[in-house]
Amino acid sequence: MQLKHFLPILIFIPFAVIQLTIIPFVSIGHISPDLIVIIVVYFTLLYGQIYGTLLGFTLGFLFDLLSGGLIGSAMFAKTLAGFSAGYFYNENKIDQNTKSITFVVIIFVCAVIDSLAYSVLAYSGTGMDVLYLMFELSILPGVYTTLVVFPILIFMTKKV
Amino acid sequence: MQRIIRRFLLSIKEYILLVLLLIISLSFLSANDNQQVKNLKTFAFGNFAFINSVSSGLANIFSNTDQLIRLKKQNAELMLMVNKLREYGLENNELKNLLDYKKETAHPVIPAVIVSKLVSNVQGNFIINVGRADSVSLGMPVINELGLIGIITDASDNFSVVRTLRSSRLSLAVVDQRSNVSGILDWNGSSLILKNIPTTYDVKIGDRIITSEFSTIFPPSIPVGIVTDKETNISGLLNNVTVEPYVDINSLRNVFVMKVIQSKQIKNLELNLIK
Repeated sequence: MQLKHFLPILIFIPFAVIQLTIIPFVSIGHISPDLIVIIVVYFTLLYGQIYGTLLGFTLGFLFDLLSGGLIGSAMFAKTLAGFSAGYFYNENKIDQNTKSITFVVIIFVCAVIDSLAYSVLAYSGTGMDVLYLMFELSILPGVYTTLVVFPILIFMTKKV
Repeated sequence: MQRIIRRFLLSIKEYILLVLLLIISLSFLSANDNQQVKNLKTFAFGNFAFINSVSSGLANIFSNTDQLIRLKKQNAELMLMVNKLREYGLENNELKNLLDYKKETAHPVIPAVIVSKLVSNVQGNFIINVGRADSVSLGMPVINELGLIGIITDASDNFSVVRTLRSSRLSLAVVDQRSNVSGILDWNGSSLILKNIPTTYDVKIGDRIITSEFSTIFPPSIPVGIVTDKETNISGLLNNVTVEPYVDINSLRNVFVMKVIQSKQIKNLELNLIK
């Protein structure tokens, strides 16, 4: 029971370090994979929508604090991502959802929602081009995050 | 009746939770300037940045040399000096008499290394390995040998947060070095834009854009970028001028903090805005 609550936070710390130190080296322009959303989605698929929403909120808050960013922005985006991932939760299909190509698809959907929410929040009222917002600021980061999931997925399926 | 209401609330509990958490997130967004929130943030990133600096140091073990940093520091100081001279040259004819009253200002710089970056097209910022213990204060400009990078927005004892030009929350007063046309430069998500410049104003592609004397957060004459495009709006009266920054913010590693803070008195006039 306690592991369920603390494991994501323990995993979050090394992921946050990688996100802030290594990921900038592999980012293409401003497009970079989001490792935090992967944790949120994975644990949401294991434990359900309410858990995922709360986890997204908590990890988003921690990430805002640790990255020196605007507090509330990642919180907002990751809460939405956790909530969205909750729609894919099925306690009879946990293995199928987390250890197959379905996981990749879910990550893509949630990463796009996360990036979109993050960008909309920052650019509301600035008259930004919607196509640019959708494609460059949402879909491309989503695609990159999805690509990063493949090796993790292979690692997880081999482990079993 | 109570049972029906309770059942209804239970059936939508996920949505209630979501709305509640989103409202809390938005409240935090509007409370970012609150002193308690700032203290919490400073404490958190100050401690976590230590882990990042170790990790970042390992990642750059072969590229970081003292000589490189020293040369880059020298370059940054020379860049500021050259720009100052260029400015004097342009003003020489008109302001010969006034120049006598101008005070020479030397800006010492503090070398720093970026320990973590938040890669985002929305709120470009990064954390550097100098803080209050190195005499870094809020509001100090951050530069490299090419030009302006951003401004210090938070500082703990050993680390500081830099808000870069690529942040929708930083607007700065700039001027066209050739024609002295002033404007406010903003990041719109894809490029730096000088908005609503009258079409009659003399701004040409290739002009150098520098920080303005009107700026309350940056000292004047720091190079910012070069004009690359002009777009006239529908009315035909105003231009949106695109500025390409001199500094490639994505590939930065070493930066310098200028030990200068603009006057508080001027700051109160809020000519320049950090949103």
